Amino acid sequence: MITAVRKPMEEIRGMIAPFKKILIVGCGTCVAECASGGEKEVGLLASALRIDAKNRKREIEIKEMTIDRQCVYEFIDQLTGIIENYEAVLSLGCGAGVQALAEIFPVAKIFPALNTTFIGQTKEPGLWIENCRACGDCKLGDFAAICPVTRCSKSLFNGPCGGSKDGNCEVDPELPCAWNLIITRLEEKGELGRLEKIYEPVDWSKMGKGPRKIMREDQSI
Amino acid sequence: MKKTNAGKKYAIFFCQQIDKNQDVNRRSIEKEFGPQIRFFPIPCSGRIEPLHLMRAIESGADKVYVVTCPEGACRYREGNIRARKRLLYTQNLIEEIGLERGMLELIRLKAGNNYTVDKLTRELLG
Repeated sequence: MITAVRKPMEEIRGMIAPFKKILIVGCGTCVAECASGGEKEVGLLASALRIDAKNRKREIEIKEMTIDRQCVYEFIDQLTGIIENYEAVLSLGCGAGVQALAEIFPVAKIFPALNTTFIGQTKEPGLWIENCRACGDCKLGDFAAICPVTRCSKSLFNGPCGGSKDGNCEVDPELPCAWNLIITRLEEKGELGRLEKIYEPVDWSKMGKGPRKIMREDQSI
Repeated sequence: MKKTNAGKKYAIFFCQQIDKNQDVNRRSIEKEFGPQIRFFPIPCSGRIEPLHLMRAIESGADKVYVVTCPEGACRYREGNIRARKRLLYTQNLIEEIGLERGMLELIRLKAGNNYTVDKLTRELLG
């Protein structure tokens, strides 16, 4: 899941200041799961902006919409015939969603209401943690499905560093030591032998130069 | 219609568990105070969402109360704790748009007292 957090209201207010008719578009997928850009959050932001405008004696008209995925044309298309009626669009999608909207509606004035943060997991209600850097060279199979690049503060591929205390990281004592987790889980699985191997550094060249893409003929039409 | 303090409008969200006769008691005081007061009985204060509180402000409430049962006495275990967290979240949000945090207030009732919605409302509104 891609996680995000709402921008400060002052920044959002600044972006939409010149406009009176505003469409707020949420996304019902990742950012809804991390409670930053789903239907509820769209309602909350719209309500806050309406109250703010009223207190500043400013006229404002806000429409709320949430589409299932803001990064896929078939869903974005639901805005056709609607978006044109608004002077500005506040997107509560991730960065990919905002850009996809802007690509399909290039004339519309589209602004991000969220700061996209990381790829992560819902650890517990109200807690999301980063667990993937999208390095393009996944080695989770070797490390008991715990990513040392993301979850070790030092991103060590050949850990542990030896600095952990009571199972927690020396860099951030609040953080479980990724290598402690890896070793414990490998031990439980009887696969500790995997760590006999010296792992080469991540092949960051797979990150490519510039934006990455995936092309699959079987999926294309 | 009896005027409340300075003619303010109030929204009162309250946990239905605090008063077994809340339906009757709420209606009697609603008649007395008229449209200056709006009650929102909820089966548990943990049902409250920030959006409910924002909508109350948007609808013209000058003050919004969330009345919960005493901590540790929630029928559904942790509802009143969640209500507090959501109220805090909403207080932060309204502060960001220049409103006073005090517009939203949590009233946590004390254990061992028999509360009725009408008496409680009179206390709140002074």
